[in-house]
Amino acid sequence: MPLEQALTRLQNLSFPTQIRESDWLFPTIETVHVFALVLVVGTIMTVDLRLLGFANKERPFSQVAAEMLPWTWVAFVVAALAGMLMFSSKALTYYDNIPFRLKMVCLLLAGINMVMFHWLGTRRLEAWDRGPPPRAARFSGGASLLLWTIIVAAGRWIGFTT
Amino acid sequence: MIQEFCDWLSMTGVSVAFQSANWFVPTVQTVHIISIAILLTSVYVVSFRLIGVTRGAQPLSVLIAKSTPWVWTTLCVLLGTGILLTITEPARELLNWVFRLKMLMVVALASILLFVQIRLRRSPEYWTESPARRLAARAIGIAAVIIGAGIVTAGRWIAYV
Repeated sequence: MPLEQALTRLQNLSFPTQIRESDWLFPTIETVHVFALVLVVGTIMTVDLRLLGFANKERPFSQVAAEMLPWTWVAFVVAALAGMLMFSSKALTYYDNIPFRLKMVCLLLAGINMVMFHWLGTRRLEAWDRGPPPRAARFSGGASLLLWTIIVAAGRWIGFTT
Repeated sequence: MIQEFCDWLSMTGVSVAFQSANWFVPTVQTVHIISIAILLTSVYVVSFRLIGVTRGAQPLSVLIAKSTPWVWTTLCVLLGTGILLTITEPARELLNWVFRLKMLMVVALASILLFVQIRLRRSPEYWTESPARRLAARAIGIAAVIIGAGIVTAGRWIAYV
């Protein structure tokens, strides 16, 4: 199968091989991944909790989002790069791993949820920026909270099943 | 002595029950990580303001007052889930020097946060009143950022040392 050949070729590249064979490279990259991921989840959940009305209720939504989301993006890029390096070291194993696949699907869904929210959810933002969001926006916040919880859980399960 | 305590604890009914449930450790770790996410984000938002990297729309005193319940609630959840993980695998944690280092850093961070919060009760302007206070606030903010990163790093390395 061409995909499996590609994955084999990927994990046989020199840096992925080095990560696999070194005692400290994988844990170091994993530490960067966890540190970045913790900030991704924390900043996104702050925005989600504002949408759901559990935190920062008295502040405009746009203000909370503007303060949090730039950090989310920086941290996400770092987490994704570190994640790709971890993946490359054992590409075939991760590809076959069910929690890994679940994590990727949830990441995709979280991305779609975010795009939908920015397209549709913030259309009449001026109307609710200082108050409770409409149902669609609250739903989006709840979905994001749930998806990121599954992403963390699935990520942890990968470590116990590979 | 700690070794004996670990041996004893790992053979108690509770520990054995936790060990034999495959889902237990990853589930507790998931709660632990999400709590760390909320704690670290709260700590960093405050620290970056103390350092002067960010200028939020709300006053520093309001920001700190609002972060306070989140900080202590998540710390309690972290302590609780941490105790559950320690009961499950006592030797992995208690005999590990990285774990001990992590605990020292947790105590240091909690003390710093408490100090910042308590001083603010004297006056909402406490940390911005004078150049000396602003300098102190900056040093405290930098320390909190570094210790916070150190805690996460140590947390992951417990598994490898």
